Amino acid sequence: MHGRVKVKTTAQQEEEKRKEREKKLKVYLTVRDAIFKKRTNSELDEEALQLTQQLLASNPDFATLWNYRREILLHLETVKEDEEMQKLYEAELLFIESCLKVNPKSYGSWHHRGWVSSRLPRPDWKRELSLCDRCLSLDDRNFHCWDYRRLVVKASKVSVEQELQFTDRLIGSNFSNYSSWHYRSTLLPLLHPQPASDPESACQKHTRPTASPQTHGHRVCEEQLLKEYELVQNAVFTDPNDQSAWFYYRWLLGRAEREELISCVYVSREGERVAVAFSKPVNVVNLMLVLDGQPQQVEWRSVHPQFRHSPVWLCELPPSSISDINNEHNLTVHWTEKHTHRDCALYTGRMESWCRESATDQELFRSELSVEKTSVLQSELQSCTQLLELEPQNKWCLLTIILLMRALDPLGHEKETLTHFQTLKEVDPMRSSYYSDLCSKFMIENTILKMEYAEVRVFSLSDKNLSTLCHLDQLLLVTHINLCSNQLVKLPLQFTMLHCLEVLEADDNAIENLEGLYHLPKLEEVSLKNNQISKIADLSPLATCPKLTRLDLRGNPVTQADDVWAELAELLPSLTELLL
Amino acid sequence: MGTQIKDVVIKPDAPNTLLLEKHADYIAAYGSKKDDYEYTLSEYLRMSGIYWGLTVMDLMSQLQRMNRDEIIDFIQASQHECGGISASVGHDPHLLYTLSAVQILTLYDSVKSIDVDKVVEYVQGLQQEDGSFAGDKWGEIDTRFSFCAVATLALLGRLDAVDVDKAVQFVLSCMNFDGGFGCRPGSESHAGQIYCCTGFLSITGQLHQVNADLLGWWLCERQLPSGGLNGRPEKLPDVCYSWWVLAALKIIGRIQWIDKAKLRRFILACQDEETGGFADRPGDMVDPFHTLFGIAGLSLLGEEQVKTVDPVFCMPEEVLQRIGLHTDLLT
Repeated sequence: MHGRVKVKTTAQQEEEKRKEREKKLKVYLTVRDAIFKKRTNSELDEEALQLTQQLLASNPDFATLWNYRREILLHLETVKEDEEMQKLYEAELLFIESCLKVNPKSYGSWHHRGWVSSRLPRPDWKRELSLCDRCLSLDDRNFHCWDYRRLVVKASKVSVEQELQFTDRLIGSNFSNYSSWHYRSTLLPLLHPQPASDPESACQKHTRPTASPQTHGHRVCEEQLLKEYELVQNAVFTDPNDQSAWFYYRWLLGRAEREELISCVYVSREGERVAVAFSKPVNVVNLMLVLDGQPQQVEWRSVHPQFRHSPVWLCELPPSSISDINNEHNLTVHWTEKHTHRDCALYTGRMESWCRESATDQELFRSELSVEKTSVLQSELQSCTQLLELEPQNKWCLLTIILLMRALDPLGHEKETLTHFQTLKEVDPMRSSYYSDLCSKFMIENTILKMEYAEVRVFSLSDKNLSTLCHLDQLLLVTHINLCSNQLVKLPLQFTMLHCLEVLEADDNAIENLEGLYHLPKLEEVSLKNNQISKIADLSPLATCPKLTRLDLRGNPVTQADDVWAELAELLPSLTELLL
Repeated sequence: MGTQIKDVVIKPDAPNTLLLEKHADYIAAYGSKKDDYEYTLSEYLRMSGIYWGLTVMDLMSQLQRMNRDEIIDFIQASQHECGGISASVGHDPHLLYTLSAVQILTLYDSVKSIDVDKVVEYVQGLQQEDGSFAGDKWGEIDTRFSFCAVATLALLGRLDAVDVDKAVQFVLSCMNFDGGFGCRPGSESHAGQIYCCTGFLSITGQLHQVNADLLGWWLCERQLPSGGLNGRPEKLPDVCYSWWVLAALKIIGRIQWIDKAKLRRFILACQDEETGGFADRPGDMVDPFHTLFGIAGLSLLGEEQVKTVDPVFCMPEEVLQRIGLHTDLLT
């Protein structure tokens, strides 16, 4: 029921149409009832094939009729010779083809074609492939036909090379063909996989079992990658506003996935707590904790009950196991499932300790982009900059330049990146919040990178136009965070990952939701001046933070509520300093 | 050589307010013209048609205008020996209509009026070795059916009846270079399919496997200058995608990435002021399918005149609360 334009008609026309429809309905119902009756009587004959054909020709989505035809054909297989069946099935293919001409997007017709092809005594896959060629020449985006093509290719063992050439041809005649670019993304990793362990070695041609191009290991080797860059450059210089090639470009640029590992182990004598951070959200059922050579019985929980998968997990050690400051302890966390572990030593006289993966910035955030040779990315950036000179308003080009700059040198290019984001929001205002969020993410990454270099536990993100918070799992060890003067509207649940946080400053935002200030064991001071907190209930997560002593709520609507002092005293009894 | 952007122009006199009463009248009258040719022709999807009509009526707080007893009788008559439910009497059972029927019965708080164990058995029997689901015994595989299977079971509180891990592996194997999902491994991303797969991952508690930033970008790029959303690059906008794209964005916590005011304007312009109902695009013929997805889209955009819709099940949130089903969404 798509794309039927409503036409105004006169009463007379309407009446004629009504009569015509009535006639058609009568014929339709007579045939339908005849079919149902035959089926109820288990009549699996050629007359039924005739009748169902009559209805399917104009209504190929009537799935039950295809089912009936299959029952009949399967029955005929038991009573007829192969030769006769071959003819019957070929006739069936011709009939389906006529249905596809009327409705090339019917799921039922395409599925039935696949079924018939699989039953044919002597299948003719060449004919099927040429049917796909014809169909795609009429509509190169018909995904039913593309899917059928993949079925034919698989059944008749058409080579990946041949299919890649097919996409060359299609893209050559029309760059703006998302389906072909998509197909390439599935073919290339099969044909030119990047050796997983040795990214520097030459292209190896061997096929791998199919898996999603998003999953680990589905990368393309360098040599082929250079050819792809060239093809994409051709496309974007020809039509810089065509999104297909740009989407493909972003995929080419970003392929590596971060390894699954334990990125940090933190232990605190106070509360005898252990926190473990992972490189990805996980659900750790079999995490083993060994203290001074003894496996411990502990209960792991994610930072928030709503997270079944989380990058940070917590547990408490049995009472008095590490509380004595005069004792030294050695802790090992084993992630048995992944055969990996991380050690952490807690020395005499120290209240806390941690052991962190010394990640480089590439490992941390460039995972979105490849670890490709800098020279290649450099020359890509040059080409895109040239294109931008010709097309200064082109959003695709701007975004790609930002991504390239981040891959090359995120800190060195920070200023230019910010300017480009500003332009992006102006030329594509419909997606301005996407650009704001992406820019926020990059600013947070840059700040984490700087912090990594300096090894500090104070994290300042003030006045950075942040519209969202992310990568909070990286901030497990942070004790002081400054988020003042941004555009934040909430402190999300992920905020609970700031397990060591003592002081939070988030003045001058638009925060109305504090759900992430939940069970932060060390949180003492919270400053939320000039935000949008309007109800006492919005502050209730703070009641789970046992050490909270100072809270500044000046400039929030909630300060106008009746009885605000009394209610807050009841909700947060540990407070010694409340500013309203 | 490239193609021009395909889009529509919204005429200045297009409707720009929500015509709730007209829509309710349109849906209430729809089922009463049973001897209409067009109506009869759509018999092969009747069960889904009823689900669309009832859900939109419930979202508009008009469910009481529909004939509950007649509908429940119809569903009972459409359940087969194998447990599966067909689009209509005389048709063959299929996961698509089994889900629709279970959704309808959940709206009416009366799943007990069919043989629930049999339904579970039917769904169970359609899971394949690789974790995928066939739509019926004829073996068509599609991630839509993976969604139908887990959504049906979740509504019945019986998700444990199938191999969820394997089912998840299959859906993840359909993830593409753009972060989206297709019908089968290797198939191109499509907003309808993305809705099914993100909905599936929500129900199975696996949303962390989605590359939300990448997929969210692809999804927000579906918005065209008219404000409408298309389902794939270089396609025309369509009201049903204001549901599929928007619900997927809501599920992965990125709904703020589209221009809500412009989309609202587009959806409202697809209303038919004379007959009530929504069409796919301004000026086209209306139908119950687009009427549901128009209203449900508006609900996700925060329309206060209709009930809040659940982005995974496309049913009123209050109905899911009633059965104790909590929907997982990314933040």
